[in-house]
Amino acid sequence: MDNVHKWFGNLHVLKGVDLEMYHRDVVVVVGPSGGGKSTLLRCVSMLEVPTTGRVFFEDRDITDIRANLNEVRTHIGIVFQAYNLFPHMTALRNVTLALEKVLGLSDDEAHDRALDQLARVGMGHKASAYPGQLSGGQQQRVAIARALAMDPKLMLFDEPTSALDPELVGDVLEAMRKLAENGMTMVVVTHEMGFAREVGTHLVFMDQGVVVEEGRPTEVFANPQHERTRAFLSRIL
Amino acid sequence: MAVREATSIEPEVAPDVRGPTAPLPATVLALGIASLVVIALGVVVSQVNYALSDRVLTQNCLDEEISSTDNGAIGVCSIVEALEDPLSTGALYLGIGLGGSALVLGASTYRRMDSKRRRDQAITGAVLGSQAVLLAAAILWFRSASPGLFAKHFLNFADLQGYGGAFVRGARNTLIMAFAGELGGIVIGLVLGILALSQRRAVRAPARIYINFFRGTPLIWQLATGYFLLLFGFGIRISGLVVAIIVFALNTGAYAAEVFRAGIQSIERGQMEAARSLGMSYIQAMRYAIVPQAVRRVIPPLMNEFVILIKDTALVVVLGLTANEYDIFTTAREGQSATFNASFFTVAAIGYLIVTLPLIRLVNAAEKRLRSGLVGIAGAGG
Repeated sequence: MDNVHKWFGNLHVLKGVDLEMYHRDVVVVVGPSGGGKSTLLRCVSMLEVPTTGRVFFEDRDITDIRANLNEVRTHIGIVFQAYNLFPHMTALRNVTLALEKVLGLSDDEAHDRALDQLARVGMGHKASAYPGQLSGGQQQRVAIARALAMDPKLMLFDEPTSALDPELVGDVLEAMRKLAENGMTMVVVTHEMGFAREVGTHLVFMDQGVVVEEGRPTEVFANPQHERTRAFLSRIL
Repeated sequence: MAVREATSIEPEVAPDVRGPTAPLPATVLALGIASLVVIALGVVVSQVNYALSDRVLTQNCLDEEISSTDNGAIGVCSIVEALEDPLSTGALYLGIGLGGSALVLGASTYRRMDSKRRRDQAITGAVLGSQAVLLAAAILWFRSASPGLFAKHFLNFADLQGYGGAFVRGARNTLIMAFAGELGGIVIGLVLGILALSQRRAVRAPARIYINFFRGTPLIWQLATGYFLLLFGFGIRISGLVVAIIVFALNTGAYAAEVFRAGIQSIERGQMEAARSLGMSYIQAMRYAIVPQAVRRVIPPLMNEFVILIKDTALVVVLGLTANEYDIFTTAREGQSATFNASFFTVAAIGYLIVTLPLIRLVNAAEKRLRSGLVGIAGAGG
């Protein structure tokens, strides 16, 4: 990302963010609410179009008007805070839909791949359930399976556990941890500091639309350089 | 930290503001129910009584401008006589007495009832009593004016003999127009609704103009003008019934478009984002994720539009339809102009109610189901 700015009307949400990440990185973005974390994440997949600045994915400028965003997005999976499963479809159909309609897989291929992904996040037994019949943690794991089934090169997590009851957070974090261990490249916006410390390879602290500090999670936690980072960490830890 | 010692001051006891328990909640309820029952029984029994007994044209009826040359005069006369019979009169005044006492008793005691159930009984009794008083007063007022004249024109069904087949055909045409118009309207509305949601003003503008035009002009004008526009303007010679269906579809389309637009806008933004983030195009996201959900939410308002359309089909009375194209209302109008008896319209109204009342129940049930949130789970899925 190169000098990304985002304005919502008169609100300057991102004030020039530069960020670079590499294959197999697990970038963890932390910071106070309203600091621009989610907006930054959404700019990565162009769900929000940056007002100025450019976003590159595998050296391609995806902020270019000519970029085929539908194609780019098949390589970037997103998991949302509110799960955003399609409520009128079963868990299985949630996963197979894009496999068939976007990747053009046959019914059987899509079916097998979807069941495989659901089993991986421990949701194989709920394939025929509708989202309304699942708990928040189960829905979020289906959402992860839905994103993973597209075989993305990059996974974005937008506060995936913030809407969950505390006892359900563990299963979702466990699924994400396994994913990281298998070498997935990930950007995670989260308030789970334990996860950030243990799984993250790179930590970004954002506040008021700018990256205040970044570095190895263990180092930032142990020895924050900026006053704002220190204040935030002392409040949250 | 030291535990604060309990003070020795006596806590002040709030005064007991409850009054003495009021008596007779069941009596109030019984009075209220009785008042309505007495009125209904008295009026109905005397009507049945007169209908079944030997009927004559009384002087009283002749005074009310019912003449022996009127077709069905004797039937109308017995309606009037039954209404003015001592049994009816007694029931009406008794009903007012019972209802009035239920109202006074209930209103003055309900606050002092000692349980929720008893209080509800007292309130319900008072409400029923007040309804009885209003009902009886309305009947007495009606009776004191010219009930004979009204009955002669609106409750005289003697002239309707031989119109059974015409009414059945009218009902069929009404339903054909309403169904076909609604179906066409839904298709037009879905397309227009999606266009009206476009980010681009150039796409949105024609849809808005269409919607505002059809919402902003009277349907009766659209029908009349549409007929001649097709005939003279475009040289299309089709039956009035088909013209009516086309205009109803165009008109309903405008309203359905607003319903669809609101339905689509009511789907959480996250649904579109989730679909797009999986690489779907805008159209794919609409087709597979958004519209199927929106359709479920718009079913009750669309059914509501359907009920409105059924009644609005009566406006084809302004078109020059041929006899076998008549809807219920035009059939009634023809009968009325042949006999100068408006009871045809009474029958027409009953005909509309037979269709619309079940539909209204269905709309309410669908709305309730939607509110309970079952739809997302129980829906057909993909």
